[in-house]
Amino acid sequence: MTIKVGDEIPELVKHPTTRQLVQYAGAQGDFYEIHYDQTYAQSVALPGVILHGLLKAAFLGQLVTDWLGDRGTLKTFEVSYRGIDVPGRPYLCRGRVSKVEGAQVELEVWGEDPEGHRTTVGSATVEMSG
Amino acid sequence: MSTATSVVERLRARIGKPAPSAEATVEAGHLKRFVEAIGDPNPRWTNEAPPTFLVALVPVSMHLAEAEEYGKGWLNGGNRFEYVEPVKVGDRITATGRVADVYEKTGASGSLLFIIFETEYVNQDGRTVARLRGTAIRR
Repeated sequence: MTIKVGDEIPELVKHPTTRQLVQYAGAQGDFYEIHYDQTYAQSVALPGVILHGLLKAAFLGQLVTDWLGDRGTLKTFEVSYRGIDVPGRPYLCRGRVSKVEGAQVELEVWGEDPEGHRTTVGSATVEMSG
Repeated sequence: MSTATSVVERLRARIGKPAPSAEATVEAGHLKRFVEAIGDPNPRWTNEAPPTFLVALVPVSMHLAEAEEYGKGWLNGGNRFEYVEPVKVGDRITATGRVADVYEKTGASGSLLFIIFETEYVNQDGRTVARLRGTAIRR
C-alpha cells in the first residue's frame, strides 16, 4: 500500500477515567496531586483533576504505532500540550500523513476534546522498511 | 530584586550541567503495568517498550524543587522523543539529564517560567537508545 500526503490515520478514541489517572500515576511514578486530588487541583486554579500530558502522549503514541504496525520504525515523536483535559470525557486521537520523502514519512497527530479543541498537537517521523 | 528574578538566575546557572545519572532495568511486570495504565493492548509491548515508556523507567526530575518558589503549579509544555534502538525487557538503561534552557515569558495571564530538560538514555552495551527533550512550565 502506497502512503501519500493527506492519508488519514484511523482514529483512536480513549475514555480516560479518574481510576486510569491513578493507575497511570503509579505506573509512571508521577505523583503530582493535580492528577488525583480534586481539592489540590482546584487550589492551583484547575477545574479539577486533569489528565497527565504524558498519558495523552501515550494515547497518540498508540495511534501512531497501531497505524505503523511492523511496516516501519518510529524515529521521532513530539507532542505539545495546549490545553487541559479532564477524566470522564472521551479523548479523540487523530492524524494524517504530512510528508513523504522516500522511506521517510512524517505524520501530524493531535488529540481532541469532545468540542473539537486540539488540546494536544504533535508530529512523528517514521522510516518505512523494505 | 524579586524572588522570581533570583529563581530564574539560580536556575539559569544550572544550564548545561549534567544531573547525576539514574539507572534502571526494564522489568516485564513494570512494562505490563504501564501498558495497562495507558490502555494499549498491543501484544508487542509484552517485550518491547512503547513510545513513552522511558519516562516511567527512570524518574527524570522534571520538577526542580527550587523552581517551586516560582508561581503556583507545574504544567507539562511538551515532550520530544528521539528513538535510536528499541528498548526491550531486560535492558539496563542509564539516563543522564541536564537543564538545556531556562527562560521567562509574560503572557495575558501573567508570567510563566519555562525549563527545558534533555535526557539521554544509554543501554547496557553503552549505546544510546533514545533522547528526550521536555518542557516544564511553572505558572
